[in-house]
Amino acid sequence: MSEWEPKIVAFLCNWCSYGAADLAGVSRMQYPPNIRVILIPCTGRMSPKFALAALRNGADGVWVSG
Amino acid sequence: MCPVALPDEYNQGLNDRKAIYKRYAQAIPGAFAIQKTDKAPCHLACPAGLNVQGYVQMVGQGKYKEALQIIMEDLPLPGVLGRICPHGCEDACRRCEVDQPVAIRDLKRLAADQFDPREIEIPKAAQRDERVAIIGSGPAGLSAAYQLARKGIMSTIFEALPKAGGMLRVGIPDHRLPPDILDLEIEIITNMGVELKTNTPLGTDLTVDDLFEQGFKAVYLALGAHKGITLNVPGEQAEGVRQGVDFLREVNLSGSAPVGKHVAIIGGGNVAIDVARSAVRMGAESVQIIYRRTRAEMPAWEEEIQAAETEAVSLTYLSAPQEILVTDGKVTGLRCIRMELGEPDSSGRRRPVPIPGSEYDFDIDQLIPAIGQRPDLSAIEEVEGLDFTRWSTAEVDPITYATGREGVFAGGDLQTGPWVAIGAIAAGNEAAESMVRYLDGVDMAAGREPIERDDPVYRPVPADEPVAARAKMRELPPEARQGNFNEVELGLGEAEGQAEANRCLNCGYCCECYQCVEACGAGAVTLETHQEHRELLELKVGSVILAPGFTPYDPSGLDFYGYGKHPNVITSMQFERLLSASGPTEGHVVRPSDHMDTKKIAWFQCVGSRDQNRCNNAYCSSVCCMYAIKEAVIAKEHAGDELECAVFFMDMRTYGKDFERYYEGAKAQGIRFLRSKVHTIDAVPGSDDLSIRYVTESGEMQTEVFDMVVLSVGLETSPEVVAMAETLGVGLTPGNFCDTTTFSPVTTSRDGIFVCGAFQAPKDIPQAVVDASASAAAAGELLSSARNTQTRTAEVVPEINVAGDRPRVGVFVCNCGINIAGVVDVPGVRDYAATLPFVEYVTDNMYTCSQDTQDIMTEIIREKRLNRVVVAACTPKTHEPLFQETLINAGLNKYLFEMVNIRNQDSWVHKNNPDIATQKAKDLVRMAINKVALKEPLAETELTVGQSTLVIGGGIAGMTAALSLARQGYDTHLVERTGQLGGQANSLYRTWKGENIQANLAKLVALVKAEKRLQVHLNTQLASVEGFVGNFKTVLKNSDGDTAIEHGVAVVATGAKELEPGEYLYGEDPRVVTSLELDRKMLADDATVNDLNTAVFIQCVGSREPQRPYCSRVCCTHSIESALAIKARNPEADVYILYRDIRTYGERETLYVKAREAGVIFIRYNLENKPQVVRNGERLAVRVTDHVLGLPMEITTDLLTLATAIVPYADAQLSQFFKIPLNDDGFFVEKHAKLGPCEFATDGVFLCGLAHYPKSIDEAISQGKAAASRAVTLLAQEHIFTSGEIASVDPLMCSSCGVCVSICPYSAPSFIEADARMFAGRATINAALCKGCGLCVASCRSGAIHLSGFDNNQIFAMLDAI
Repeated sequence: MSEWEPKIVAFLCNWCSYGAADLAGVSRMQYPPNIRVILIPCTGRMSPKFALAALRNGADGVWVSG
Repeated sequence: MCPVALPDEYNQGLNDRKAIYKRYAQAIPGAFAIQKTDKAPCHLACPAGLNVQGYVQMVGQGKYKEALQIIMEDLPLPGVLGRICPHGCEDACRRCEVDQPVAIRDLKRLAADQFDPREIEIPKAAQRDERVAIIGSGPAGLSAAYQLARKGIMSTIFEALPKAGGMLRVGIPDHRLPPDILDLEIEIITNMGVELKTNTPLGTDLTVDDLFEQGFKAVYLALGAHKGITLNVPGEQAEGVRQGVDFLREVNLSGSAPVGKHVAIIGGGNVAIDVARSAVRMGAESVQIIYRRTRAEMPAWEEEIQAAETEAVSLTYLSAPQEILVTDGKVTGLRCIRMELGEPDSSGRRRPVPIPGSEYDFDIDQLIPAIGQRPDLSAIEEVEGLDFTRWSTAEVDPITYATGREGVFAGGDLQTGPWVAIGAIAAGNEAAESMVRYLDGVDMAAGREPIERDDPVYRPVPADEPVAARAKMRELPPEARQGNFNEVELGLGEAEGQAEANRCLNCGYCCECYQCVEACGAGAVTLETHQEHRELLELKVGSVILAPGFTPYDPSGLDFYGYGKHPNVITSMQFERLLSASGPTEGHVVRPSDHMDTKKIAWFQCVGSRDQNRCNNAYCSSVCCMYAIKEAVIAKEHAGDELECAVFFMDMRTYGKDFERYYEGAKAQGIRFLRSKVHTIDAVPGSDDLSIRYVTESGEMQTEVFDMVVLSVGLETSPEVVAMAETLGVGLTPGNFCDTTTFSPVTTSRDGIFVCGAFQAPKDIPQAVVDASASAAAAGELLSSARNTQTRTAEVVPEINVAGDRPRVGVFVCNCGINIAGVVDVPGVRDYAATLPFVEYVTDNMYTCSQDTQDIMTEIIREKRLNRVVVAACTPKTHEPLFQETLINAGLNKYLFEMVNIRNQDSWVHKNNPDIATQKAKDLVRMAINKVALKEPLAETELTVGQSTLVIGGGIAGMTAALSLARQGYDTHLVERTGQLGGQANSLYRTWKGENIQANLAKLVALVKAEKRLQVHLNTQLASVEGFVGNFKTVLKNSDGDTAIEHGVAVVATGAKELEPGEYLYGEDPRVVTSLELDRKMLADDATVNDLNTAVFIQCVGSREPQRPYCSRVCCTHSIESALAIKARNPEADVYILYRDIRTYGERETLYVKAREAGVIFIRYNLENKPQVVRNGERLAVRVTDHVLGLPMEITTDLLTLATAIVPYADAQLSQFFKIPLNDDGFFVEKHAKLGPCEFATDGVFLCGLAHYPKSIDEAISQGKAAASRAVTLLAQEHIFTSGEIASVDPLMCSSCGVCVSICPYSAPSFIEADARMFAGRATINAALCKGCGLCVASCRSGAIHLSGFDNNQIFAMLDAI
């Protein structure tokens, strides 16, 4: 189990969280490389179908931020 | 890379930044700059111009090789000079202002100790045929040979003595300069191909003519000064008398020389000391130095004198030899005479004068005069063309070092007389330059005149620079020095040397070590960019806008706050940085002294504001109350609810939109607000805590301990801005803000120059943004005829139709220098991408965003017929538009593009996981390729912007907006519901500055009526509004019927009105009036106002109450102005103002001071204990509790004025017409509270005046102009494009449920009209209104709505590839 790393799909709002993730990079903050970011135009765009599709495709977690 | 750490101004000095820096991560322009001033004083003090600051910084970093590279630009002998240089640089060192100079010489030696200078690679030009002869292998000859060799010119050095090195070899004993060090460094020069011939003196066997005959093209004479100067006293020929230089030469060449038992040395220079210390080593029993002045005048270095004393050399001052006592031809004694100091001589030192009759004798057996040397000219005296001075030195051109004989140059001690080695090095460098030019046949002197800087600019010595002791080298113990010439000084250790180097203050900021040039892979930082200077540009402009901002007040001068003394007392600006996620603590609220979590913070308000006694800033800084509350609230958010926050204040001035609510919210969160005066701050002994003594409103002294204090510092105009204003001829207010009038708030006293921001008056962001737009409009009104005369139009490349084509994806992976490639395996990602479906082309680029890469990309897209592009690089937030532009230039629709963020969200954040970061990059690229294959070209709808405008509301703000629009060339309709222009201003008497409002209003109305592009519709209302940005159709309704007008934009300026109060006997007693009613009485010159004996004002009537929780902003100033007007009519009248907080922000504060001086009495009341108005027969009285005494009082009054709230019309119909929201108070909600204060989220609709929030006339005028300005930015485009990434409805799928219609914040979806031929009742989306947020798409239960660019299939495609 110690080798297992979760794969997390992150849906980030273009106007806030995506920019914040960029700023984390500018500030050279270090965090685990487990997330795969999908940019969405607004969290209003987030559909339950996306979360389900992510899990169906093998994601271990779904993170929506906006 | 950069070694120079400087306080980070952006973070208020809480951390360090480098000399090459970007102000902050998001700074614009997003490029780095190098901070430098004049070259550091050490650099300038060095005769050879060594970049001292540069190599000191390199040593500080342990980069000894790099240090030597810098040193060896100018000096081939680092280890030698690192020992014996008299370091003039250290005398110039500005560290002396703090403690002692940096031990520069020892650091140079450390570099040479730590890295073998012979290993330094010295760049050499291609070797040339010409050879140069150099006479003398001292420092001048060696450095000339070295510099010539670097230029490819080989030389032969002729040395008379058996060993090379000149005075370095024979003038300095080995205990100071070990010979192997000298040998080693001479090797550096011979390794370059320089030939060295020892035992080859110039003379009869070898003349200058011979050298030219042998084929040498130039000759450099660097013979030095090796001939001792005689004393000219009797007995000098006796045995046992030896010249110091001769003595040292013998010691240095043979290891010893005859030495007596009792040795006397005459002289006060380093030679005398060297002789003495050598004599001690060779067994002399007593060694005495005799010097005719005092120790203070001795030219020898202090450390050498001390070393001699340590070694038991005795020094006799103020004594001079008169006669050498000789017996049998041998020295047996010395007769000296005592001296005293007289008047200063030409050298500035006091001249020694013999004291008659003070002769004395003593026994010696050896006398060594060391009073100076001069060149031995015997070998060159006869050379034709050479001239000599009366001091036997060679005459040369002071710049080129050329002698009178062509091709012959001279330098070093031969030319200067005895001087320091580094001076000879400098002379050698200069002569080499001349000889290169001589051989090239070019002007030898051009461009070499020394540049004098009278007033060099350096980094100021930091006031709080801690004292740090100068490092001292270990030395050989005195007892171990006997009988040997082992080196005494043992050099610095690495750690102490690096610490010593870090004492450097970096006077020149950048140290020019050029490590950044080495490091810059993009070639952006070069030696040339390092030479860039401030440039003066001359621009022709039609107007100037001043926006120089403010500088935060520096509280160091107010000693009782202890700022600069207590580390935990910081300014609010510093606290802002502590709160910032990009700040020095990444948003952790820690106190500076120990970086521990803060538990209890106090804010002190009005530091540097409202204070004429201690800082001469009489004004209120307007923003501090609100920012202190914000800081306290955010601090609690960051540090947790346990953090205790207390704000010590006089008046709480939360007068902005929604500020009062925020204040109440902060109180509810437990933030304490203490109305008080702070007395003192004391450190709590044994801790870093601070004890605060303060006086409460009722006069009690209290003490409370906090662990941090934040000083809410005010805003000031900087002295530079004051000077600029003077230069520009722009007038200032007493508070040093830009002088403007109420009716022209952004116009300075000079025509064509406008002002905005905190230079206009202390103000917050929304107000500054309003000003900015307003000043742009003011300039635009002036220059509208020039609009579009200097614009350039880009060439349009025809778009290739790719519809139906199989996707051909090109993938461009960026290295971003090492930003990505340093972590992610870029070639690996590139090669992986090539294996993915639809990928036709892959490459990686050093910098994908560079202009040449863009050109190459354009070519590749065409050549490979790519129809989809993926760039894996930084972030689309900054770079997507750039790459889309490239697609457009290649003829592709810009939406056939996808960007992969493998820098900000990958390489930068997973530095320690290169493998996983590479895997993540591959995953993200795969996802993007899956998506881009499904992307379709999208069309952007072009909209024509109608060029006429509608302004709703004919008050001051509306008239200003309408006038500005019309003056900028747009046909404008101004609609006013009443029959009169002017709105509330019709009732107003005077501004706080004393200006006559009615006169100014009349002028404005006249201008409006006269403006030919402006059509005024009085008694008119809006019947309906249709359309959207650029294309509105509005029906106006008045007594003449309905008129439809078309307009591109609309400005809402519908205003607000005065509250009709239902308390304080208003309406029941005619003596109770509102503020506007009082103004109208004054306008009418009502007699009752002229002979009032008593007048009372009650503030906050209807404002700041639970049902109306906002401050009406203008009433405090208004009442004070009215109170002063009453006082002006009858100075004997008693005038009372009953208030909750006086909110005279900005320079209005001066009016408050004036009122108190005029005797207006201010009494504070609480919301819980409001004043009561009673009528007893004819007597009208106000009962209130005095806030200081706590006792009730009753004031009988002739007039009671109620400062009533400003209430908005809350026009729901207008809100519906334009889809513009109202807040809970009924004011319109702007697009963005800070950055969009005069426009709506609905495109094409703008806002100004009281409909936005209560404001004064000047603020309404600013906002009116600002709304016009924002509107013009849209109107001037004439055509606008909507985004292609918008939603659309598939009507076949639509079930007409209406969710999209109700959910859309922009009202883009609507139902197709019931009588339409097709799809009646189904939803449709107006492309012009859609913002592409996707809310409707996600909520459509029928799956009928699609969002271009983010459609379901595209996101599913990404998810398929995770």
